[in-house]
Amino acid sequence: MKNRRSIMRTAAVTLAAGTLALTGCAGGGGGGGGGEGGGDVTLTWWHNGTQGVLKEYWQSVADAFEEENPGVKVEIQVTQNEELQRTKIPNALRSNNPPDLFQQWGGGEMAAQVEAGRLLDISDDVEEELDSIGGKAAGWQFEGQTYGLPYSMGIEGFWYNKAMFEQAGITTPPATMDELNDAVSKLKAAGITPIAVGAADKWPAAHYWYNFALRSCSQETLEQASAEFDFSDPCFEEAGEHLQSFIETEPFQEGFLATSAQQGAGSSAGMLANGQAAMELMGHWNPGVMAGLTESGEGLGENLGWFNFPGVEGGEGDPKAALGGGDGFSCSWQAPPECVDLLKFVVNVENQRAFAETQTGLPVAEGSEDAVTDPTMQTLLEGRDSAPYVQLWLDTTFGPTVGGAMNDAIANMFAGQAQPGDIVKAMTDAAATL
Amino acid sequence: MSISDRSTTEVGRDRGSIPAGRADSARPAASQPGPMNETRRAHQRRNARRLNLFIALFAAPALIVYLTFVLLPVLLAAFYSFWKWNGLGPLTEFVGIENYARALSDPVFLGAVGHNLFFVIASLLVQGPIAIGAALLLNRPLRGRTVLRVAIFIPYVLSEVIAGVAWRLLLQPNGPFDSFLAAVGLGGLKQLWLADTNLVLWTVFAVVSWKYLGFAIILFLAGLQGVPEELSEAAQIDGASWWQTQRHITIPLLGPTIRIWAFLSIIGSLQLFDMVWIMTGGGPANATSTMATYMIQFGFQRSQFGFGSAVAVILFVVSFIFALIYQRFVLSRDIGGTMSRRVG
Amino acid sequence: MTTVDLATDLSKTPPSHHEAGRRFDWSSPFVYVIALIVVGISVVPVLYVILGGFRSNAQLNADPAGLPSPWILNNYGSVLTAGTFWQQVANSTLTALATTAGVVIIGVMAAFVIARYNFKGRDALYTLFTVGLLFPLTVAILPLYLMLQNLGLLGSLLGVIIPQVAFALPTTIVILVPFLRAIPEELEDAAVIDGTGRFGFFARILLPLSGPGLVTVGVLAFVGSWNAYLLPLLVLGDPNAFTLPLGVQAYSTQYSQDTAAVLAFTSLAMLPALIFFTLAERRIVGGLTGAVKG
Repeated sequence: MKNRRSIMRTAAVTLAAGTLALTGCAGGGGGGGGGEGGGDVTLTWWHNGTQGVLKEYWQSVADAFEEENPGVKVEIQVTQNEELQRTKIPNALRSNNPPDLFQQWGGGEMAAQVEAGRLLDISDDVEEELDSIGGKAAGWQFEGQTYGLPYSMGIEGFWYNKAMFEQAGITTPPATMDELNDAVSKLKAAGITPIAVGAADKWPAAHYWYNFALRSCSQETLEQASAEFDFSDPCFEEAGEHLQSFIETEPFQEGFLATSAQQGAGSSAGMLANGQAAMELMGHWNPGVMAGLTESGEGLGENLGWFNFPGVEGGEGDPKAALGGGDGFSCSWQAPPECVDLLKFVVNVENQRAFAETQTGLPVAEGSEDAVTDPTMQTLLEGRDSAPYVQLWLDTTFGPTVGGAMNDAIANMFAGQAQPGDIVKAMTDAAATL
Repeated sequence: MSISDRSTTEVGRDRGSIPAGRADSARPAASQPGPMNETRRAHQRRNARRLNLFIALFAAPALIVYLTFVLLPVLLAAFYSFWKWNGLGPLTEFVGIENYARALSDPVFLGAVGHNLFFVIASLLVQGPIAIGAALLLNRPLRGRTVLRVAIFIPYVLSEVIAGVAWRLLLQPNGPFDSFLAAVGLGGLKQLWLADTNLVLWTVFAVVSWKYLGFAIILFLAGLQGVPEELSEAAQIDGASWWQTQRHITIPLLGPTIRIWAFLSIIGSLQLFDMVWIMTGGGPANATSTMATYMIQFGFQRSQFGFGSAVAVILFVVSFIFALIYQRFVLSRDIGGTMSRRVG
Repeated sequence: MTTVDLATDLSKTPPSHHEAGRRFDWSSPFVYVIALIVVGISVVPVLYVILGGFRSNAQLNADPAGLPSPWILNNYGSVLTAGTFWQQVANSTLTALATTAGVVIIGVMAAFVIARYNFKGRDALYTLFTVGLLFPLTVAILPLYLMLQNLGLLGSLLGVIIPQVAFALPTTIVILVPFLRAIPEELEDAAVIDGTGRFGFFARILLPLSGPGLVTVGVLAFVGSWNAYLLPLLVLGDPNAFTLPLGVQAYSTQYSQDTAAVLAFTSLAMLPALIFFTLAERRIVGGLTGAVKG
């Protein structure tokens, strides 16, 4: 008994001593990079491909990388998208034991991580890749240095069910708001739910406002807003007015406030995939998500179409401009050099072509475009490459504080509890707390 | 049996305050009156030292684990609350009570506090009577009593995450719950359970009640086992009805149990998180936000850790004030009520 | 304080509710109806999840509230034959047992000295633990996370177990102190006369007598650990180290298109706890009785 007690006490004292080392000063971490002696390296890699083809694809990339680099082991951890981006990565970056390679969306969020010294500056190692990717890598750069690379960059628009459009007598995809409103009425008349939106997750709802803002505001206004958090231009309130009158036409499914975007057949993506709604406003990843939400694993197949968000009358934004964003990876500050090798491997042309074939996104490396064979994805690619400018998702651009306040306020408008001015006010107020 | 019965009364009297020690008996000298000589004094000192060592050894493990893993993190959180901090990098910007001022002037936070109060009051007023009523009715040797107890305990045993996932599935528009209503001829009651901002708070309350009502019933059933039957028998012989007996004898004697349940219920309502987070994330339009979901959503998810920590401190202070009020006010009222309702 | 006296007097007569109970009209259908409603409300949603696991997705889509027809065993079969499920059961069990053992052992030790000895700082110590009731784990999650990583406990079950023990201590001590205090001092005096030391009294007399109280705090700690979500989510990264709630969440996103499989996995994740509580029902209620009276 005595023995056990003294062990307990020793353990307790050790614990107490351990806590003194708290707040900041690195205590050597625990495990993590693992067995770095003898040339063996273990890389941890966190991504969000929880289902289907994407998951298999990343695993095959990891296997191929291991084969080419003896002594390197890649350990993948897959986590659901929001949980990964909002909970696990921020926490891991706060600790001394972050993953080596992890999901990175760039923009204002990345800037905060850079300022805290949590990312590896890879500028000197990826010059070739930057040449290949071009301007699309800008979101992963901060103050002239590069802290990550995208592997997919896409734009957003309405995904629609061609058969349902035909059934409702819609011959050409809407190009103006009037045509969109017309299509909504025709679909309703045909007994079809026009649009599915996953408003429970907030961002899918918020993307409507982003698109209206993109149409209402000039490129300069948006750039200034990103840099200075200046939302005084009337176009921001206009965006809210457009959204409000669109919501008033009741284009969405019943109970959209409680619908999630991607989880299960009842989600907005699941509704489109299973023929329960005709349209969904969503990013380039949607075909991959939809495929995972149908029993056949194929989604709508040939019935899936895509068109860019319609222009609004009198808007200062270019109607061909697109809202978009990319998926990429960053290496954390302690990652071994092999992490950069893996990142470069991910975006080499061969792998980018293989990625294109998964149809879960649009590759960014030069020379991989023609690997996109699906007609719908080709439309999307054309849209991306012909857009005069691609505006990064506004929440990513503004960072979590202002972006979060913006998304909440927009979600409130969907619930009928916010006026156009409230959205602008929420953003301005949040910016004041920075 | 008599052991725990005795404790009912003692603790019922001074629950919450420190149990007054009757334990001094362990002191070696207590039972040794008379003059002491030197050896005795030395012996006594040695004994006292040994006693202190014994106490220290017994209390130390719990104390150290508790200080290290509960109190220290909580104090650190309180410390962060005075800084503007994005959770990355060093603390550089001291802002005093600005984070607190911001929370307390944010209508969304005040709304969240309101929702917590709703849960507190609704739990006490709705769950309490239902659970007490059910316990009174079921406190008898029914056939299948064990099955009954297990059955009503099931929701409590389930993880909030699992229960939340299941209910979110059941309550989706035109989902299984609506089909069920239609099947039993109540199709007209169909609602957008989780999407209607006027209804969703009640929906969440109903699910939370589903989860915790069984626990309350079991607690009251357990409490009723300590209420002697002789009293109610006597009352019934005197011509009191079943309800009169319950109201004037059984329920007052259930006082200590009700107080424990109410305390757990209040604290649980104030700290409500998992279930709300899984089912609604505090939405739609903040209609179900609680202090805890607000803290995660507006503090942690928006990288405002100083602010989130300030909300955490407010959450603690509110719980603390409730606990104090509860002890002072409810406790004394409970005793007074019991006395005034004594059956003569 | 007359109430107290009344109650004290009553307590001298051992309750005999079982015999006395028969005077009422037990067969009263009303009571059974109430019982049935209570059971129904508690059990039907759970049954729905379990039965849903025996249906195909087509059946679920066609009639969300129907019964299995025909019964499909595939969903359960594929979950049960996958290694991850069993691994997660083992993780949850290990975590819950270790948490329970830890909190009961160090909790009863501390509660023992607080309950039965007068020493300097005793009131402060008790208050300190009581205040802990008011701290939910969410409040301290960030500093806790940083601390665990400095101690090298991230990714290991110990990193879940130790904080869970710490956060379960307040409840444990608050429940046990009055319980231990209620054990008559005559017993201790007798033990001292017999030459039993303090430790002997604690181990041989007090512990066995406080069985019901220990069961109560043990059950509360076990339930808390079994159901915990936020802490394991942050601490455990490797799916092979997941506990069941994490497993359910991960499974339900990974196979979100396959509702029937998710229902099957969820049912199986509930099952161990349900079995445990069915078997231990008597002891749990007994323990609660003790706790309530304490």
